Amino acid sequence: MNLNFSDEQNLLREQIQKFCNSDYDFYDRENFINTESGFDSEKWKLFAEQGWLAMPFKSDSGGFDFGPIELSILFEEFGKFLVLEPYLSNIVLSGFILDNSNFDKKNEYISKLISGDEQISLAYMEHNRNYDYKNLSCTLDGDDSLVLNGTKNLVLNGPNADHFLVTASHNDDMKIVIIDKNTKGLSVNNFKTVDDRRISQLNFENVSVEADHVVSSGDEAELLMKDAINYGTLCVSAEAVGSMESCYLKTVEYTKSREQFGQPISNFQVLQHKMVDMFIESELCKSLLYKSMIDVHENNDSKYRSVAALKSQVGISGKKVGEDAVQLHGGMGVSEEMSIGHYLKRFIAIDSQFGNSHFHLKKFNNS
Amino acid sequence: MELSFSAKDLEFRDEVRSFLANEYPKHVAEKVENGEPLTKDDIVDWHKSLSNKGWMGYNWPVEYGGTGWTPAQIYIFQNELGLAGCPTLIPFGVSMVGPVIYTFGNQEQKDRFLPDILNFDTWWCQGYSEPGSGSDLASLKTKAELVNEDGKDFYIVNGSKTWTTLAQNADWIFCLVRTDSSGKKQEGISFLLIDMNSPGIEVKPIITIDGDHEVNSVFFTDVKVPAENLIGEEGKGWTYAKFLLAHERFGIAGVGASKRQLERLKEISKDLGDEDLIAKVSQLEIDIMALEFTELRLLSALEGGGNPGAESSILKIKGTEIQQRLTELYVEAAGEFAIPYGGPDGYGSNVKPNGPEYTNDALSKYLNMRKVTIYGGSNEIQKNIISKFVLGV
Repeated sequence: MNLNFSDEQNLLREQIQKFCNSDYDFYDRENFINTESGFDSEKWKLFAEQGWLAMPFKSDSGGFDFGPIELSILFEEFGKFLVLEPYLSNIVLSGFILDNSNFDKKNEYISKLISGDEQISLAYMEHNRNYDYKNLSCTLDGDDSLVLNGTKNLVLNGPNADHFLVTASHNDDMKIVIIDKNTKGLSVNNFKTVDDRRISQLNFENVSVEADHVVSSGDEAELLMKDAINYGTLCVSAEAVGSMESCYLKTVEYTKSREQFGQPISNFQVLQHKMVDMFIESELCKSLLYKSMIDVHENNDSKYRSVAALKSQVGISGKKVGEDAVQLHGGMGVSEEMSIGHYLKRFIAIDSQFGNSHFHLKKFNNS
Repeated sequence: MELSFSAKDLEFRDEVRSFLANEYPKHVAEKVENGEPLTKDDIVDWHKSLSNKGWMGYNWPVEYGGTGWTPAQIYIFQNELGLAGCPTLIPFGVSMVGPVIYTFGNQEQKDRFLPDILNFDTWWCQGYSEPGSGSDLASLKTKAELVNEDGKDFYIVNGSKTWTTLAQNADWIFCLVRTDSSGKKQEGISFLLIDMNSPGIEVKPIITIDGDHEVNSVFFTDVKVPAENLIGEEGKGWTYAKFLLAHERFGIAGVGASKRQLERLKEISKDLGDEDLIAKVSQLEIDIMALEFTELRLLSALEGGGNPGAESSILKIKGTEIQQRLTELYVEAAGEFAIPYGGPDGYGSNVKPNGPEYTNDALSKYLNMRKVTIYGGSNEIQKNIISKFVLGV
C-alpha cells in the first residue's frame, strides 16, 4: 500500500505547475474564450512541444506510455487554472480509442494528434439516451460500403475537429468509424457551453463510409467505449479536484484581504468554518481520486465502481465548493471578470458530463 | 503507488484474523452481536485476551513492552478489530496516559504503571473536562497545592472533573490540575496521577439521554496525592496534554467498525426495498470510502517519513459524522419500531417488542452516538484547528 507519488510523478506535476503559473494568466485566457476556436492554438503547440500530447500513448504509437496516474496529475493542475485547451476530447477520448484499437491506419491519425497538427473528436452521445452509449439510433447500413445516418449531440470540441470518431449500430453490433469533417452528407451545428467550451451537433445524411474507415466493431468497440468513458470520467474528476483546491485557496486569500467592520472578514468564525468545509470536501474527493486512478492504473475489476463513486462525489462537492466560493466572494463572486464564478460554471459542466452525480450513485450501487 | 498491502502486511492481517477467530472471548462476541450491554468483567476479559497475546501495547515501542508495530500494522490491527465488531478498546491507559508516562515520566513511574496498563490490571480514566472548562480546557480550575508533611511532599487537590467516562470502573485517574494561577492560563497546569481510592474522591453518575451510565462527575475534596505522582515538570501539563491529543487522533476515524455496520445496513435497506434509503446508504458508502482513503493517504505519508499534521482533524470530523449518520439511517430503517425503547434497563417488560432484530438498539445507539462529535475536541474545535494550522486564517 503506497499512496505517495514517485519522484518522476512529482517532477511532472512541478513542470505542469510551472507552465501554468507563468503562461496561464486568467485575463489572458479571457481573450481566447471569445475567439472562434475557444482556445489558444499557440498553447496547443507548446503542449505538443513539451510532449504532453504524447503522454498517454503507447511507445509503439510514439507515446510515453504514461497512464491514469500521470493524466490525473495533468488534469488536476489543469483544473487549478481552468485550462481550456481540448486535451480531453483529443488525447483522452479519441486518443484512447485509437491507441487501443486494431485499426490499421491508427498511427497516421495518432501521429497528427501527438504533433498537434490535427484534432479528432468523439461523437457518441445522442438525444434522450441518458448517458447510455450502447443503445444507438445512429445506423450504419450495408456490408462493404457502409452508409451512416443519424444525429450526434454534444460533441466536445466539435468545431475544431478535423475528424470525428462516430459510434453507430450496424446489424445490432456497435461500430466506431472515423469520418472527415468535409465528408458529403455531414452537416455541423456549433454551440458554446456554459463553461466557454465548444460543442457540436452532427447530422449524418446518407454519409458513405469506406470499410477501411471502420476503427472498431462489436464487443471490442463496446469495451473501447466503456473504458474511454471511464478514463474521461476519471480525468474530468481529477480536473474538478484541482479546481476545488483553487477555490478554497482563492477564497482564503480573498477573505484575508477583504475588510469589513474594520477587520479582515477571515476573522469571522462562520466564514472560517465554511472554508474548512470547502477544504475537507476537496481533500475527500482527492482521496477518492487516488483510489480511482490507481484502480484504473492497476486495471482492477473495481475500476468502474470506484470511478463512479468519485464522479458522484465530485459532482456534489464541486458544486458545493463552487457555490460557497461565490458566496464568500460576495458580489465579486458573481462578477464575470473574476475567476471564481468560472470555477462554478466548470463544476456544473463537469457534473453534467459522462453522467451526473445521481447517475453515478446508481451505477455505484448497482455494481 | 499501489492499493494493496505488502505480502508481509497481509500475512500480519491474517494473524490478526486468526487471533480474532480463536481468542476473542465468545461470550463478549455474542453480547455485541445481540446488541446487549457489556459488564465490566466482559470488557476486562476482552482486553485480557489482547494482553495475553502480547498485543495490548499495539501502538507502543518495544522498549516499553509494546509491539513495535509499523504504522501500517497498527492501521491493519485497528481496522480488523473494527471489521470484526470488537468492543472499542478503552483508550485511557494504553493510548492516553501510557504514552505520556513513557515519554515524560521518570523510571520509577514507568516501572510502576506501564506493566499494569499492558496487563489491563489497572483501569484508568481521564480527568480533563470540568463544569466550567470544556472546549476552553486551559481555563480549568481544579487546584493542586504543594505541601510538606513530615518531610514528605504532597499535592492537596480540590475541585471537580466531569464527563469522566467509566470512572465508576476506574482504579486511577490522570488529571490536569492547576498548580499556578499567576501567569498565562496554559502555563500553570500540571499532569497528576491520582489513585481513585484516595480519601476525598467522590464519583457521581451522570445519566445520558440514552439512559446509560457511562460518564460521571468526579469531586475532589482535600485529596492528598504524593508528589511523586506528578508527571514531568510542574507547569508543563499543557504540553503533555497536547501531545496526548495528537496521539489520540490517529485511528479515531473508526473506518473498520463503520464498514461493518454499513454492510448490515445495505442488506437491511435492500430487504426493505426502500429506494430512498438505498440511495442514502450508497452515499454513505462513498463517504466511508473517501474517509478510508484519506486515512490511508495520511498513513502513507507517515510510512514515507512524513508527519501528518492538522490534516488529521479531518479524520475526527468525518469519522464521527459518519458514525452518527449510520445510526440515523438505522433509526430510519427501523420505522415505527424505533420507539419501543430497550435502553440499559430493558423495555419495562420481560419480552421484546416484535420488530426485526436490528430495531432493538437502533435508537439507543443513535442517542449514545450524539457524543462523538462533542468529545475529543468537538468538531467545531477541530475546524478551528484546521482553519488556523492548515488554512492559516
